Amino acid sequence: MAIPALEEREFIERFGPTLHYGPMHGGERPKPDTHVRTHCCFCGVQCGIQLEVHDNKVVGFEPWEEFPVNRGMLCPKGVKRYMQNGHPDRLLAPMVRTPRGFDATGWDDALNRTVAAIHRIQARHGKDAFAVLGGASMTNEKAYLLGKFARVALKTANIDYNGRLCMVSAGAANKAAFGVDRSANPWSDIPLARALIISGANVGECFPILTDYIWRARDNGAKIIVIDPRMTPIARTADLFLPVRPGRDSALANGILHVMIERGWIDREFIEAHTVGFDQVSGVVAGYPPDVTEAVTGVPASSIVRAAEIWGPAETSMLLHARGVEHHTKGVENCRSYINLVLATGRIGRPGCGYGTLTGQGNGQGGREHGQRTNQLPGGRDIENPEDRRFIADFWQVPEAEIPHTGLTACEIIDAIEDGRIRGLLSISFNPLVSIPDADRTRAALGRLEHFTCIDFFLSETARYADVVLAGSLQEEDDGTVTTGEGRCVRLRQAVTPPGEARVDWEIIVDIARRLGYDEQFPYAIPKDIFRELARASAGGNVDYSGMDYARIEENMGIFWPCPSRGHPGTPRLFEGRRFHHPDGRARFQAFEYRPPAEDVDAEYPLFLTTGRVVSQYLSGNQTRRIGPLVDQYPEPLCEMHPLSAARIGVADGDPVRVETRRGAIEVPARLVRTIRPDTVFVPYHWPGPKSANLLTNRALDPVSKIPEFKVCACRVRRAGASADASGTVSDD
Amino acid sequence: MSASSRTANRYFDPRAFRIGAAAAGLVLLMIVVGSSGLDHFDWALTTYAVASVFAAFSVVYRYAVWAGRPPTRMYLRRGWQAFRSGRGRSGRGARLGIGALGGNAARLGRLLLNNFVLQTFINRRSVERWIMHAGLSWGGMLAFGITFPLVFGWVHFETLATDAEVYRVFVFGFPVDQFHVGSFRGQLFFNLLNISALLVLLGLALSVKLRMHDGGELAVQTFADDVFPLLLLLAVTVTGLMLTVSAKLLSGYGFAFIGLSHAASVIALLLYLPFGKLFHIVQRPLSLGVAFYRHAGENSPRASCMRCGEDFASGAHVADMKEVLDQLGLDYRFETGSGIVHYQDVCPACRRRIVTLNQGAALGR
Amino acid sequence: MTEYEFFIDPSRCIGCEACKQACTECDTHRGRSMIHLEFVDRAVSTQTSPVVCMHCEDPTCARVCPADAIKQTDDGIVQSSIRDRCIGCSNCVLACPFGVPHYVAAIDQMVKCDMCYDRTSIGRKPMCATVCPSQALFYGTREELERLRSETPVNDFRFGNQRVRTKVHLMSSPGADDMDVDVMRFMAGAEPDVRIEELAVWTEDSVAARS
Repeated sequence: MAIPALEEREFIERFGPTLHYGPMHGGERPKPDTHVRTHCCFCGVQCGIQLEVHDNKVVGFEPWEEFPVNRGMLCPKGVKRYMQNGHPDRLLAPMVRTPRGFDATGWDDALNRTVAAIHRIQARHGKDAFAVLGGASMTNEKAYLLGKFARVALKTANIDYNGRLCMVSAGAANKAAFGVDRSANPWSDIPLARALIISGANVGECFPILTDYIWRARDNGAKIIVIDPRMTPIARTADLFLPVRPGRDSALANGILHVMIERGWIDREFIEAHTVGFDQVSGVVAGYPPDVTEAVTGVPASSIVRAAEIWGPAETSMLLHARGVEHHTKGVENCRSYINLVLATGRIGRPGCGYGTLTGQGNGQGGREHGQRTNQLPGGRDIENPEDRRFIADFWQVPEAEIPHTGLTACEIIDAIEDGRIRGLLSISFNPLVSIPDADRTRAALGRLEHFTCIDFFLSETARYADVVLAGSLQEEDDGTVTTGEGRCVRLRQAVTPPGEARVDWEIIVDIARRLGYDEQFPYAIPKDIFRELARASAGGNVDYSGMDYARIEENMGIFWPCPSRGHPGTPRLFEGRRFHHPDGRARFQAFEYRPPAEDVDAEYPLFLTTGRVVSQYLSGNQTRRIGPLVDQYPEPLCEMHPLSAARIGVADGDPVRVETRRGAIEVPARLVRTIRPDTVFVPYHWPGPKSANLLTNRALDPVSKIPEFKVCACRVRRAGASADASGTVSDD
Repeated sequence: MSASSRTANRYFDPRAFRIGAAAAGLVLLMIVVGSSGLDHFDWALTTYAVASVFAAFSVVYRYAVWAGRPPTRMYLRRGWQAFRSGRGRSGRGARLGIGALGGNAARLGRLLLNNFVLQTFINRRSVERWIMHAGLSWGGMLAFGITFPLVFGWVHFETLATDAEVYRVFVFGFPVDQFHVGSFRGQLFFNLLNISALLVLLGLALSVKLRMHDGGELAVQTFADDVFPLLLLLAVTVTGLMLTVSAKLLSGYGFAFIGLSHAASVIALLLYLPFGKLFHIVQRPLSLGVAFYRHAGENSPRASCMRCGEDFASGAHVADMKEVLDQLGLDYRFETGSGIVHYQDVCPACRRRIVTLNQGAALGR
Repeated sequence: MTEYEFFIDPSRCIGCEACKQACTECDTHRGRSMIHLEFVDRAVSTQTSPVVCMHCEDPTCARVCPADAIKQTDDGIVQSSIRDRCIGCSNCVLACPFGVPHYVAAIDQMVKCDMCYDRTSIGRKPMCATVCPSQALFYGTREELERLRSETPVNDFRFGNQRVRTKVHLMSSPGADDMDVDVMRFMAGAEPDVRIEELAVWTEDSVAARS
């Protein structure tokens, strides 16, 4: 029975989060013995950074100005990321649950318990009753390994990862539109674009160093269009800001395309020669003239026309989007609607012309390529495609029939735990209690698990529910590769070894596989062995790494896939020569009629709630909520709201407010700003417990990508302590 | 990385020269008077005495130049006024019923104890730094406390006519004490300079350690201001200790040469006083004035920013700054449609915002 | 030798505080940030104001220092206070036209930006400008700047009757020679650059529940 054995207070005393500020500066900081050139662990930009190491401890950092993507630039998370090392909360040994909480134990004992639980549960309830949850902060090596572990050693169909909460809508849309799931252009194309649409991407806070790319585009004369319900830092100075009502992106894109077609700002020749489906699109968008679009999206008709005027005739252009358009029950539809804007102009596959999603997780790109997604095998192969299955079965030397088919996605796995279909769980690099919507249900589900093994470096809120906690590794404690948001595979170098009894993650997974009797299939001695295997596994696949090795990656400061042979330089820009990755070489248009979000505002819950990040925190905060200077920068979630909506409920800046949805309520201070739509409130999601934004959000999934609808649901806000009667009642009613 | 101070005053100041000369004269006079008309003056120490007189001139000259600068003058005056007037009526003096001046005297005592004897403000930076500074300052003060009276002939020793092992101590010619040479007190007395040297050496060692490891210190230090005084102190202490070693262990080997070196290093140290880091010894007491001034300002009308309304300083401080700026020939007055606005009436945070808003407006952002 | 200079364009700033966090990492700063980074007025805008020392040619802070504690090096860097001299009087804090010096009560001293003297004095870039994700803080050669940017750097400021020339530049409108700081225009507060309630279409109904 996986219910936390300790009180909240006791957990915090023993496992943190402790605010760590060390090591000290000036005379008190030891001089580094070495500088290790590696990458930041926080976000898909993967900035190059040099970690200063002294006596097997990371003691500081130095910018790495030679790395071409960030050229020394870092955000505050990057600057302070070194403080996660040598942290007092670090798990130093495997632990097993006891009535007193957790007791340290030996690796044999811990792993044998996990293995016994796997045998027991799978014997009694079937292979699929044991699920695996992975994460997109892991290296390519670990992502590959975890997928193989689940399919070969556990034979469970139910493996998925927290990238399911990230950019899977874009992934699915890219696959459908272009036949390949990768940002079409390197970021170095951004400064070459003369028009930029940035939609649902708070670039300044979530991908801070890309701000410089956007400014360089402006310096070259680009016009910037920002689409967001909030006036984010980049929206402030944009040439055109479209404050869209949450959940209306597909309609907005349709409306812009409507004007472009009307004015003739489309590339008929390109459409004719290189795409399929434009007729369907022009049919759909005909129904979205500016006034209609205005009524749906809350964006004035004149702004919609202006957007078309900037975007339509531009010489070169890039369209970038992020979670703001992807975190919807129509996330895939939103993405495809924006892709239509790109395809209609034919501006793709050339310098300064293209499209991309900005991935939010450390290995958001690579984490989704090598087989830890439930519907996918290594090399971006399709788990339901007989040819792909056969290739991998041969490669792994297992019968094809033994490879499971598509299982459940991340949120569905939590649902299945809730209703008893899944009884056992192994998780790594994932903190679903904080990051999955409707947290109260997640909490209840974790309590129902018969067995839960969690690999973690800090005891996350989710790991408190584990029966066995395996002390794994931080990013800087292991070797490997990650693939950045632009498709560049870069090298992470081990700076230090794990402290105490902790082990590197991949060794732990391999150890479990061997204890399950799969020695031969998991013969790795070092991460490089895993990389060699994943590169070969990807050969000929959609996502081809087969020409890469560590030495080449290091020499070139990263290689873009596809890279199908030793001599191949990699592919920074896709679709050059206007060839797309569908068998016929053509891109696919598809437009969608607007449909409302799963939960729209109504008289009872009249405000849109949207959630997102702040610049100083990363994902569920298991790392960044322990780094003192980052916590000081933004210590607790605030409810951003417009003074007009605040006035209705008599709330002043800083007052505690109660934000309620049909699923839960939180109390946080209000921050009154005139930079958010008056009908929308925003709460960042990095925190657990009673202030967790995901107590409020809606676990409604996109039918294709299975991404939950983080970005819109209906809420009401009142002063904390005010009676429910008075809540949100219109004062002048 | 030479850091010559472009901001220092580099001109001859006749007024300061007169004050310096007067100070030198005073020291000379005190030597003559204190040594009973040179009766007890130890002629072997003449070079030290001459150097001291010269040091008195140069330190006071430098001090006078410094004190004449508008901001310094303002603080000396205001600090003294605040001390005497006891504007801090809510202070302990008032509560104890001993009057404002009495309260300020008590406050002065506390400040002296904390800032000059215990030097607690350095402890807040780091304990190691505090030990370093304590060693250097107490060792130095002890050494000078002994040396000057001896050199000036204010203190001298005579043996008893009846017992050559018993020393009598004379201060300004009057007998005040006597002790047996072999007594603990005697040993302590004769070794005080050695003890002070050891304290200084401890401070020097720590200071070198800090400088070796502290990248920040290394980056901003200069030879003339920071390293040279340490070398001088090292020379003085090492040659001083060697005098003892030579006398006690080497039966006087090289004593004359070591003595000469010691004299040379001490003289160099005295003459260096006005120039580098060591000048802070005489500057530092100004912080007492600041403490009184600030205390008075806390209990007097405050200045609030004319833009945001925030209380950002004492009204007196803002008014004094305007005066100091005028004396320095700096004019931060804006002639606006609604009269003259002095930038001193805008708080520093709003000044930052105003510059940013101007810059943004210039670019239309 | 290439001459590196500091150019600031606050209008590009995204307020991420990378500069503040990085500033604490310089050896000369001892874990303290010397940078001021504030919202100009968060209630109406996301505009932020990153302020590092402008390193005046004739620094007002040094002129008003009663203790001679602020020195300017030959390369024009106005150093932080000399610790054994600074008496914590805050004259410099009050006098600096750019609002740069910090008074730190815990150590009773002033500290200020010294352009990462441990780095720039040996030819490296200051921490803040190296990491700045928007390059609002830019440290490089003038040629590099002119290649990249169309704005004109100015280092000649007028605060009413006072002219202040600085080593560090602010980016201003193309062709500008100086910046005549207008104090009255912004006296009432920031002008909201965008009124979102006017840019967005929304209804009164949508902001309040009815019981």
